[in-house]
Amino acid sequence: MNNDMGIFPEPAAVRVDPDAGSAPAPAGARARRPGVAAPLSEASRVAIEIRALIERGEMDEARQRFGELVTLHQRRASRIAYQYLRDSADADEAVQDAFVKVFLHLPSYREAWPFEVWFTRILINGCLDRRKARTRRDRWFVGGEPSSADEARLAAADATPDPERRLLARERRARLAAAIERLDGRQRTVFTLCHYGDCTPREVSAMTGLNESTVRVHLFRAARKLRGLLGGKP
Amino acid sequence: MIARTRHLHDDRLVECYLTERHGDALDPPVAEHLSDCPSCTERYAELAQFMETVRAEGDADADALFTPERLHAQRQAIARRLQGIVRPARVISFPRRLVRRTMTASTSRMAPRWAAATAAAGLFVGVALGAGYEWGAHARSVRQTLAADASRASRVAPVAALGNSTSDLADDVFLSELEIALERPHTRELQAFDAFTPHVRPIRDESR
Repeated sequence: MNNDMGIFPEPAAVRVDPDAGSAPAPAGARARRPGVAAPLSEASRVAIEIRALIERGEMDEARQRFGELVTLHQRRASRIAYQYLRDSADADEAVQDAFVKVFLHLPSYREAWPFEVWFTRILINGCLDRRKARTRRDRWFVGGEPSSADEARLAAADATPDPERRLLARERRARLAAAIERLDGRQRTVFTLCHYGDCTPREVSAMTGLNESTVRVHLFRAARKLRGLLGGKP
Repeated sequence: MIARTRHLHDDRLVECYLTERHGDALDPPVAEHLSDCPSCTERYAELAQFMETVRAEGDADADALFTPERLHAQRQAIARRLQGIVRPARVISFPRRLVRRTMTASTSRMAPRWAAATAAAGLFVGVALGAGYEWGAHARSVRQTLAADASRASRVAPVAALGNSTSDLADDVFLSELEIALERPHTRELQAFDAFTPHVRPIRDESR
């Protein structure tokens, strides 16, 4: 079934609450995967330090250190959120919400999983919630053009003086966005995380609760479908 | 070693692309096949170019929208929201008892029960008092009616007695006694005082 919103087979189990730092994957998937045994990343180290600061009650210092984490991850988070939502204002809010949620639940973060994985799970779940809300809203109200402001910004940012080239670039963007939108929900998630989030299939597996080989299959199918839709070229 | 006659499948090519993109080394047999087989090399190059172009387009869009200024504003917005959450609003503790009652969920659930019980008790007491008052008013009105009838009978008694039967006289006496009994105080302690006190009726009767 091409389920646009229900990305994962077991939403309740895969659904990430921020407390899931210690055990983020469903029981079945965890049994299949031993876990991501990688050395601590820079972000994970900073997250652990912030957690210690919060536990000691040094909130000002914790907030200051958290700013470093935000700086480290916000560009990547914005890219992922924008690819999910295709609206920069929505994506901006989703990124803010994810960071605030992460800070609030940082005491429950456990270093068994890299901070990036934990944070990205929270972010993509927030994005999925927003997509659901948007779909619900569009069912009852006449939808506006959410990306018209973005189009204006993109046009302003485009330094090409040639109007024809600007128009072609705009059409290319629209085609690519439409093609990604036509992907199956899981394929889109896997493709977005791998391509725009710079995640490995193992990390995507940890984020989504899908088997690593399933992630690879979804990625391959997404690439094949995109090539079919775009005629080999975006 | 992978034979040259068997070309790499597309999913293997995607895996190769991902592996190379994350800076890892390819499987030696796959790498050897790719270097030896021009067809697979061409397919791999085409796939890699397609994926890179898709990625570059998407990243370019996102980066054009999320400019450094916007990211800075986003950082500031996050910092503001964290300040607001970590330092909660000061709660004025007056009236203290009321605040405490509203803060706990269990007492907030109990409050409607208390209100309902109080309302029911008030309703019951109100109905009982109302019924008692109604009953008292009714008894008073009965007594007043009886007294009025008795006085009317005493006034018409001389006229009726002129040529009427003895039963009318007996009725008149009975009503007069009833009237007198009603006019007397019902409290036993006051009846002695009442006996010493001159009454209007006997004086009026004597004057006649």
